[in-house]
Amino acid sequence: MTLVDEVEVEVEVEAEASVPVKKVPYGDIFEASRAGDVERLRYLLETGVNVNARDQWDSVALYYTCLVGHLDAARMLLENGAICSEHTFDGDRCHYAALNLKVRKLLKAFEARPPPLEPLQAALRDTFLACISSTQGSICSHFPPDVVFIVQGKRIQTHRVILSARSPFFKKKFTTDWKDRNEVRFSKERLSYPALYSLIHFFYSDRLEIAIDDMEDLVRICKVCRCESLHKVIEKELIHQKYADYKALGNVDNSQKRYILQGLSLPEEDRLPAALHRILLTALSNSTHESGQEDKLISMMDAMQMAKSVDDLADVCVKVDRNIFRCHQVILASRSEYFRARLSHMKNFHEGKHEVSVDTLPCLEEHDLSKEAFEKMIEYMYTDRLQDINPDQAEEMFDVASRYLLFPLKRAVADVLLPHLEMVSLDEHCHWLILADMYGVVKIREYCLDTIACNFETFAESKEFRAMLLTLPPPSGDSSLRTTVPSIPGSSLNTDQGNLLDDLREKWLAIEAAELDKRDESALQFDKRLEMLMLVAEQEKSSHNADSDYAPAFLPNHHSDLN
Amino acid sequence: MSTQKKRAFQIEAFKHRVVVDPKYAEKTWKVLEHAIHEIYNHNASGLSFEELYRNAYNMVLHKFGEKLYTGLVTTMTAHLKEISQSIESAQGEIFLDELNRKWVDHNKALQMIRDILMYMDRTFIPSNHKTPVHELGLNLWRDVVIHSSKTQARLLDTLLELVLRERNGEVINRGLMRNIIKMLMDLGLPVYQHDFEKHFLDVSANFYCCESQKFIETCDCGDYLKKAERRLNEELERVSHYLDPRSESKITNVVEKEMIESHMHTLVHMENSGLVSMLVDDKYEDLQRMYNLFRRVTAGLTIVKEVMTSFIRDTGKQLIMDPERLRDPVDFVQRLLDLKDKYDKVITMSFNNDKTFQNALNSSFEYFINLNARSPEFISLFVDDKLRRGLKGVGEEDVEIVLDKVMMLFRYLQEKDVFEKYYKQHLAKRLLSGKTISDDAERSLIVKLKTECGYQFTSKLEGMFTDMKTSHDTMQGFYAGQGTELGDGPTLSVQVLTTGSWPTQPSPPCNLPSEILGVCDRFRTYYLGTHNGRRLSWQTNMGTADLKATFGKGQKHELNVSTYQMCVLMLFNNVEQLTCKEIEQATAIPMSDLRRCLQSLACVKGKNVLRKEPMSKDIAEDDAFFFNDKFTSKFFKVKIGTVVAQRESEPENLETRQRVEEDRKPQIEAAIVRIMKSRRTLDHNNIVAEVTKQLQSRFLPNPVVIKKRIESLIEREFLERDKVDRKLYRYLA
Repeated sequence: MTLVDEVEVEVEVEAEASVPVKKVPYGDIFEASRAGDVERLRYLLETGVNVNARDQWDSVALYYTCLVGHLDAARMLLENGAICSEHTFDGDRCHYAALNLKVRKLLKAFEARPPPLEPLQAALRDTFLACISSTQGSICSHFPPDVVFIVQGKRIQTHRVILSARSPFFKKKFTTDWKDRNEVRFSKERLSYPALYSLIHFFYSDRLEIAIDDMEDLVRICKVCRCESLHKVIEKELIHQKYADYKALGNVDNSQKRYILQGLSLPEEDRLPAALHRILLTALSNSTHESGQEDKLISMMDAMQMAKSVDDLADVCVKVDRNIFRCHQVILASRSEYFRARLSHMKNFHEGKHEVSVDTLPCLEEHDLSKEAFEKMIEYMYTDRLQDINPDQAEEMFDVASRYLLFPLKRAVADVLLPHLEMVSLDEHCHWLILADMYGVVKIREYCLDTIACNFETFAESKEFRAMLLTLPPPSGDSSLRTTVPSIPGSSLNTDQGNLLDDLREKWLAIEAAELDKRDESALQFDKRLEMLMLVAEQEKSSHNADSDYAPAFLPNHHSDLN
Repeated sequence: MSTQKKRAFQIEAFKHRVVVDPKYAEKTWKVLEHAIHEIYNHNASGLSFEELYRNAYNMVLHKFGEKLYTGLVTTMTAHLKEISQSIESAQGEIFLDELNRKWVDHNKALQMIRDILMYMDRTFIPSNHKTPVHELGLNLWRDVVIHSSKTQARLLDTLLELVLRERNGEVINRGLMRNIIKMLMDLGLPVYQHDFEKHFLDVSANFYCCESQKFIETCDCGDYLKKAERRLNEELERVSHYLDPRSESKITNVVEKEMIESHMHTLVHMENSGLVSMLVDDKYEDLQRMYNLFRRVTAGLTIVKEVMTSFIRDTGKQLIMDPERLRDPVDFVQRLLDLKDKYDKVITMSFNNDKTFQNALNSSFEYFINLNARSPEFISLFVDDKLRRGLKGVGEEDVEIVLDKVMMLFRYLQEKDVFEKYYKQHLAKRLLSGKTISDDAERSLIVKLKTECGYQFTSKLEGMFTDMKTSHDTMQGFYAGQGTELGDGPTLSVQVLTTGSWPTQPSPPCNLPSEILGVCDRFRTYYLGTHNGRRLSWQTNMGTADLKATFGKGQKHELNVSTYQMCVLMLFNNVEQLTCKEIEQATAIPMSDLRRCLQSLACVKGKNVLRKEPMSKDIAEDDAFFFNDKFTSKFFKVKIGTVVAQRESEPENLETRQRVEEDRKPQIEAAIVRIMKSRRTLDHNNIVAEVTKQLQSRFLPNPVVIKKRIESLIEREFLERDKVDRKLYRYLA
């Protein structure tokens, strides 16, 4: 998110915190906000808590932070999209409650900045901006544009797909007049650069930002490009603006004023995800499914044939599990670093070599991947949405998300999976815990650990759990350190290297051991208990071949030991 | 928990349980290791990106990240060691080429490796607090290649030698140089700074230290500066071509320090070519160069400024104190203006209009102009001269320019009231004798004075102009009403002057000839008839008269003379010979004035309408005067000017001084009262300070005088001393 960095927030946080920061390792977002526990807060936000949620007293987290005056925490909430606009209920309360001027200033600073974009919009916007900035420098670490507009002597570099997706006008042009052109020069005086730039920027990011003075130009362009809903909204706004000018009587200088429009104000079918979804559907309908032949040559021929039906503007084929998907390089590259690297390295590696004809689309081949998972993934890449996902697919989706570095996808899958987890068996819990730990899906991992800690005794009796214990790395040794200063699970950037058993112990302690000064003892007891369980598991494993009804006899003793 | 679901899990799970193969990690790593080798050997085209990425991904996923990472470190280190050796073995010239080539290769390979291992880069590395792959590659390059014992010193020496060769005028491969330096910068700022910049600066300092020593011994100041400037530009160019921009200030600092700062004094004071001689010879270019170079070092400009100031002060002082110059005030002021012009030009052309230099120039002028107490008088005289005759044939703009320049000098004056005094006198003379050339010029000067010193300063001067105007009207009225009655009598022109506005000394009117007296009386009755309650007294010492005279051979002349002279000449209508004494008695003209007017009538060649015996310049009381029958002149009109004391004579000067002092007293008192009225109580020092501040625009009051004024005010019970603190004064309302 480059935009967040652009807006300079001039609130200096003083070195000494005015309020001693309390740690609330297990608090919810409201507690953490009130205590100013930044680490806990970061963890919570990473797990995907709704930052604008209200508690039973109808207050948002930001309200508490502002009330107590934790600048760091407030900044973190704001950066994660907490609403602080004065004209909203929550925002107004925050402003009213702000402890001191510094907090107020921070709120003001963030009020001026638009809320963060969704991952899809943000990614495309970055791609677009990278095209702009790379006009000067020759190094392009981003995905290169495929068409350049020259308006009033300035260049705007863009990608055909995006423009076609958003505007019927461009779609038509790209399939007819401008089909083979890499450069389009507009010589008409009436076409203004700022307006066109704003519009194209809007195409990429679903956020329109334009100087009031340029709005009339934009209305004209919208009309030409047949962006009807946008046209309607802006025209209306223009009338408002005129009325405002009229009311102000004097000559108002509009040159500094800017108008900002969020994608949300448009009907859903005119927003970016919907537009890309349409593109995706056409592309998919052109893709060949289940090309039966094993022969590589034939599939190459297929690709060549497919290249002829160009109305979907696809510029790359991805071959997955003997299916060929027509895709768009910009979107793949913008969403996934993997594809960006892959597409820019075509020449260097083996893959780029057998590209023979100009007409053929470049073809990427991905192994170890099911067709369904790939479909889901590109759906997510194009639309930021995940529809009808089967919990059975979840594991593969986690794999895909990790592999293609689509980290937000993990959270999306986890959201789908979570309700399902409430009714799975003990051993499935263990299974998911291990998977979540492996793929770094914080939300699922937390959920499983919580469930296990709450029902520890039940789990202890299950064979699968004990077997799992053996596969896990042993808990870290320095238990004294861990218990007196409770570690915060979310404190490290990524949790998948955190020791599972350590985390489990912490969870268990939080639930079972109430007294803080007795925690050391409890922790020791828990470690002992784990050791016992492992020992049992060990025996079970060795006697697995011989006899399986051996172990349970031990359990009651250990149980009493613990209490 | 249907069995079906469970099975689904197991199927999925199975995929990843491939890892059960204990040698899995080993095998996969082998594949990747091989790929890294191939990449380094430029054989990457045989590799599949997708496959390699997948392998790396699976390794990390199955917790073999550590193995992958350490493996990468080992492999890369091994390759870099090879590279390092091949670089070390490169001979002579090609060393840098080889280094650059390998660096480019390494970078490219590194990028490919990073992309293959991207998953590790994104997940394993941050959570294990390892160095990211790209950075790792750079660090290894730094440690293995650049910091290898042989390369490190050799690289530095090669680079420094190239720089030295370039400094000595050879052409070097700047592109290569840039690439190598860029490499050092990419390896991190500390590497660049420690491995190159530090030594570079040291060597440069040495180089320039020697060179500047050599130059200073052989070149004069101008040449030296030229060379220094060239060196500086060279270094700037060097930085822009192949060094880090951040080095710019450092290397220029070195050059500045060695070339300029350490020789600053020598340069400025250099015999025959230093600053002073540059100023004398108007070497604008050299001066500009000096300014631009010295500006770069601390205290550089201060030195230049100080030397310039002291030089201007010296020249100014010489000019001011030169008795030769004092003879001719006009020339004196002209010289001052020339001096000012010269330095203004220096400052605009060479010193970038630097404010501090302008201030220094102003303060020096202020300093030396006020050294001479007669400066106000001279400036006024200069203006007088210009307005009397100097402006003939000069365009309006030029007049303005001259006046502006004069105003500038005026600003330097501390005793502005003295100037006012003189100016008033001179203006009165000009107005009464009708010698002003341009009314506009006069008025514009007054406007300038007004903006400079305020309304008060010029109100009287403006009054003088008004008087002239009303007098003109009165005269017209007088003649319109009585013209017919007057007949052929002499034409009278009267200027009615308001007392106080004009610098008149009450002097007893002389005895006017009877012809005139009649007309005068008529005018008196006319004037008093229209203006009630006024008193007219004749200022005969300020008037002029036109006389028609017939000389011996019948030639007629019109003589333009002063009133006094007219009175004297009229006496000769009746008698042939008169002594000075007799004339004095007959006319009642004060002796000093009479002397002057006789001098101008008898002693000036070509205008000697009287003859004097004995023929000498000086007039004694017993000298006899005759009407000069033999007077001839080419012109019909003869203007006989009074021998005006252009400069005041000593006693007059003293007198003016005294009057000025007298005038100052009420001003000081008024200031004191003003201040005390607002402050009620104030101690002595503060009063003095405030009074000085208030009156600064007019003159610098002397503290002793202020003290006297305070005492006088105490006597008159405006103020009293505080009973406890004797230093405190109270205002008594």
